[in-house]
Amino acid sequence: MKLVLVIALIFMVFKSHAATITIYDQNQQPLPNAVVWLTSSVTMLDNELPNAPFMMKQQERQFTPHVLVVPKNAQVEFPNADSIMHHVYSFSKSKSFELKLYREQPQAPITFEQTGVVELGCNIHDWMLGYIVVVDSPFYAITDEQGRLSLNIPQGEYTLNVWHEGFSDISSTESQAVNVSNKNLRYQLKQKVIPRVAIGVDEFDDY
Amino acid sequence: MIIKNSLGVVALVGLLSATNVNAQIKGLLHVSAVKGDSQSSWQEGGVGLYRYDSENDGVLLSQGLIDFRADLSTDWSAHGVINAYQDPEPTLGFSQAYLQYKPLTKSKYKWHVRVGGFYPLLSLENPDMGWISPYNYTNSAINSWIGEEVRTVGVEATIKRPGRSFNSAHSFAFVGATFKGNDPAGTLLAWRGFAMHDRQTTFNEGVAFAPVASLNTPQLQHQANQVLPFEEVDGRYGYYTGIHWDYLKKSQFRFYYYDNNGDPAAINYSTGQYAWDTRFSSAAWLYKFTAKTRLITQAMSGSTAMGKNRGVDNRFYSHFFLLSHKIAEHRLSIRYDYFKVTDKDDWAFDPNASHGEGITATWRYQLTPQWQLGIEGSALRSQADNRQAIGIASRISQQQVLLNAQWRF
Repeated sequence: MKLVLVIALIFMVFKSHAATITIYDQNQQPLPNAVVWLTSSVTMLDNELPNAPFMMKQQERQFTPHVLVVPKNAQVEFPNADSIMHHVYSFSKSKSFELKLYREQPQAPITFEQTGVVELGCNIHDWMLGYIVVVDSPFYAITDEQGRLSLNIPQGEYTLNVWHEGFSDISSTESQAVNVSNKNLRYQLKQKVIPRVAIGVDEFDDY
Repeated sequence: MIIKNSLGVVALVGLLSATNVNAQIKGLLHVSAVKGDSQSSWQEGGVGLYRYDSENDGVLLSQGLIDFRADLSTDWSAHGVINAYQDPEPTLGFSQAYLQYKPLTKSKYKWHVRVGGFYPLLSLENPDMGWISPYNYTNSAINSWIGEEVRTVGVEATIKRPGRSFNSAHSFAFVGATFKGNDPAGTLLAWRGFAMHDRQTTFNEGVAFAPVASLNTPQLQHQANQVLPFEEVDGRYGYYTGIHWDYLKKSQFRFYYYDNNGDPAAINYSTGQYAWDTRFSSAAWLYKFTAKTRLITQAMSGSTAMGKNRGVDNRFYSHFFLLSHKIAEHRLSIRYDYFKVTDKDDWAFDPNASHGEGITATWRYQLTPQWQLGIEGSALRSQADNRQAIGIASRISQQQVLLNAQWRF
């Protein structure tokens, strides 16, 4: 009986926990589209890459998703769902590349070896803008419309990192030490989020 | 000629595939069943302002085009549009052929250069492949004229300030170009006036017009009964400059000033072409009320003159309003055109004044991504001072109905 209790206790300590995190802006409003990842200096984080490939699509002359978060060393495919070609590029420090993407001519995926924020553009359609946030953690997600996300993560001490495209320096992040337990976490940004212009286009706006 | 051109096209496509250049090739075939007006079309030497007349009644190929882009390197690409027509006679030729240098630059400002033969991008009516319109089949009077007489062979530089790079809702582009050729631009406005059609002139073509009586006078005896619009006559450089201003993509505005810097005293006796001193301003605006409903409007005002003492000296003006609405796979477009040429010279034997207005309504149905069906009705009335001398009423009214099928790849 004692043994059973001990085993149960061990399970309770080490079991993964669905932690709910809510991000707020400076006006206490929940913030959608914030990238959040948890890092730990104590626990060895298992950095195994997921099986499914990551994808940054070009669809209807936009990057879809607008923001993609991937773990370090992830491979990202850039499928072109449009009938016209795109010329995707990045000049970002953590990954600089260019890809000419023709209709029905897929290119090999790109590996993102360094952490950081990669800003994507298209040299043909200058309204296209997308971000790939490369993180050194398997525990990451993007907040929903309610500013919320949930992570399956062992309880313990972590550093919570946040990035948003509205940061005035888009290569910067905010961090804070947190204790992941049964309690829901909330984090309020220290900086102002600048609203970003989004340009809706249709098939005749190339001209 | 057509065999030579066909061989050229085959050789080009062959070259592109043989050298394994990365290329994007698109094409379109457009077949129309025509119910034309009894007034003979200018293409057949008449004074009718539509592309077709009752002689064309039946089915014909109204557009056949290949629009390609081949990437030569990261920064350089080759672009071309090859058009096939069967009216007024079977032809095959390039309507655009240019190289583009568009470097990948870290700067928030983007720039590119085009070298070759191309359209100034002053209109918002013709954004589809090969400079065709996705709205009406019959172009506005302004863009009918651009398509037949305005094309530049030269160098154009564009600097863009994309709004998104600056987190601004406003985007700007500044365009400047210098070119040779295009000296006879304005000839059709003088002796035919504006017209309404989608027949683009390829680089190797001429455009005929009615046997205008004044061309038999000693003063105009060297002028041919056709225009070779892209010919170089006076050896001088022309230029144009433009600005694009977009608010998001909801409102798009373009203003251009074009001056071919023609020397009106210059003439090529062997081809019967004068250099015309032609200049115009064009303002175009597109506004999306919603994602489905848009207004496109454009106004153009300019002048054109030829002859040592500017014996033919005209002003021209046109505007249109186009409303287009998309419901699922259906697009409805209706357009009103007004056009006018004013005669400013004192050559009474060569009256050039003309004016008119037209209304064009089009319904298109996108059956599949490849197939589109559509119907269009258009009516116009026009007046021209030079018609009576060739035994035609100065005022005419015309109608044209087209049933259309487009296939694209």
